[in-house]
Amino acid sequence: MKAALIGAGQIARQHLSCLKTLPGVELAAICDLSPATAEAAAERYDIRAWFTDHRAMLEKVRPDVVHVTTPPTSHFGLAMDSLDADAHVIVEKPATSAFKELETLVRRAQEAGRHVIEDYNYVFNRAPQEILRRIESGEFGAVTHVEVLICLDLLGPGGFADPNSPHPALTLAGGAIADFLPHLASLAHFFVGPHRTAQTVWTKRKSSLLPFDEFRAALDAERGTAALGFSSSSQPDAFWLRVYGERMQATANLYETRLTFDGPRNVPKPLRPFFSGLEEGKTIRHAALATLLRKFKGPGALEGLWELIARTYRALADGSALPVTASHVLEVNRMVEALKPKEQRP
Amino acid sequence: MRALVTGANGFLGRHVVGALLARGIEVRAMVRPAARLEAFDWPSSVEVFRADLRTSRELRRAFEGVDVLLHLAAVVSGGEDAQFAGTVAGTERLLDAMAASACQRLVLCSTFSVYDYSSIGRTLDEDSPLHQGPDVYTRDGYTISKWWQERVARRFVEKYGWDLTVLRPGFIWGRDHGYLAALGQRFGRHHLVIGPLTRMPMTHVENCADIFALAAADARARGQTLNVVDGPGERIWTYLSDYMRGSDQPGWRLPVPYWLAIRVVRLAFATVFRSATKVPSILIPRRLESRLKPLRFENRMLRETLGWTPPLGYQECLERTYGPTAPTATGRPGAASLAVANRRFNFRNRFSKSS
Repeated sequence: MKAALIGAGQIARQHLSCLKTLPGVELAAICDLSPATAEAAAERYDIRAWFTDHRAMLEKVRPDVVHVTTPPTSHFGLAMDSLDADAHVIVEKPATSAFKELETLVRRAQEAGRHVIEDYNYVFNRAPQEILRRIESGEFGAVTHVEVLICLDLLGPGGFADPNSPHPALTLAGGAIADFLPHLASLAHFFVGPHRTAQTVWTKRKSSLLPFDEFRAALDAERGTAALGFSSSSQPDAFWLRVYGERMQATANLYETRLTFDGPRNVPKPLRPFFSGLEEGKTIRHAALATLLRKFKGPGALEGLWELIARTYRALADGSALPVTASHVLEVNRMVEALKPKEQRP
Repeated sequence: MRALVTGANGFLGRHVVGALLARGIEVRAMVRPAARLEAFDWPSSVEVFRADLRTSRELRRAFEGVDVLLHLAAVVSGGEDAQFAGTVAGTERLLDAMAASACQRLVLCSTFSVYDYSSIGRTLDEDSPLHQGPDVYTRDGYTISKWWQERVARRFVEKYGWDLTVLRPGFIWGRDHGYLAALGQRFGRHHLVIGPLTRMPMTHVENCADIFALAAADARARGQTLNVVDGPGERIWTYLSDYMRGSDQPGWRLPVPYWLAIRVVRLAFATVFRSATKVPSILIPRRLESRLKPLRFENRMLRETLGWTPPLGYQECLERTYGPTAPTATGRPGAASLAVANRRFNFRNRFSKSS
């Protein structure tokens, strides 16, 4: 299969590195508005052709799959053009800046017999997948509730609040936090399904360019409830996922490799916390070492992106079910829409 | 003559502005939109142009009435992609704007980092080999972006027939920038000194600024690529001693011969870190070489082409960097020259009042 990529920025590096490892996938072309950026990526990843005009690339290369890794507001037009060129589209989150655009995109894909896959990379990290395995085996019990909280310093160096060069995500409803809503929503959707109702709180604690720097939400969904949040004040940076089942509970930090389970134990009840604590300590020590070692090599916390891309290409090659389907994308984005602030500033 | 200076409020840029003014050259200083300039005390003749090379749409206006561009701006912090976007894509946008103007003269600030240290035997000079793609992508983000910046500039020059001078400074030091990457590895106040007797390719920021102003004004600089060092350089041990005394940061220094360090790092890389991609620079052999390989550095081309000698000697540079109580070569505060040094220090910081 021939793959092409539009937008050779930071996240593109992960897409390209992953694609280089996939059997049967040819990195055929790359496109960026900056000629040097496109050419440098082509040199580095041994890509045959580079372009500054995506339409010229689509026409000349005729890729099977196009990865759209540009700033969010440009996704819709580029993805539509790629579908028109008869390519499947893997698009970075958020897939579009407005839900209507997403509906148009999905409809266009269905008409063309192509697929649009939005990047829900954290769903495919090892921790959520291991929790899923235990759910499917019956060991975990039915999920009743999920909590997802991202703590990330948006105002720090290299963050979203550079006064000289405003980050493209600041144009989204909700500002920089809106860039993370697909992560929160995709994880909630993964464990408790489509939402029925959502209550949100958007606030601003610090003076900055950002319209909001704190976000909380409570959702009622088809298979349980969810509490979602984003804090740009709480430190250190963390990506907490807690899943509550009828037999077990799981806690993971998706920025690290930490994943602990707490469940029934074959010991007298008063001793349960003691043995749980011992096991949790041991698991965390092992995870600390694994987190350190993975800093030297590979995608790190973006391991789920590699997994999602690999699964997608396998599914496209053998015609099996995609890891992210059109209904997933629509349901997750309906949830994202419900989470967005009603006004841009509090 | 009017010069446009990008990165004008940066460490080198603020001194280049002063050096250009001292030569009677009018200055348009390009700074980022949110840059604070109160501390610089620039004369009113300096025209400030606010723009960010990554995003600004009005770059063409910056070239109105400009005879020479001194392009110093580069992003030196953040990840590799942020550096590339700021330095390389920013340069593309800037030079696109220049191509639409009457300006035909470019002085580019490059760096020693573009040289392939691994392929250089004894002496690094202007004829030494540069990195070649795709090998360059094994280097750090700064090297990649500066190598590409020079590549982009040369392509524009070839396309539009401009006059180009490329100046490649070694390690630039000065007030608030006394610590250099060539000093080895710092652990808090303590230092692992790799190759303590190695001489560093270094230039004091005021000497470096002087050569940029000279290159802008002097026709002999056209078409030249020149390395910028003040001389053969100080030994790492000596300079580190001066830095620790001058900045009043006492600590331990552990000397390690370069040959031993590079062998250990090569062994570690071949065994433990073989396929790792995110190892600290000092543990990657080729990056260690580019920081610490013992080579000879000289400024012969600079002297012969432009007849330049550094205006400030090492002792004067120490005084500019650390103030009137700067260490002397013998390690004693320069008390005898206190009054003179004080006067010079105040005068020369007219254009460099940093916080």
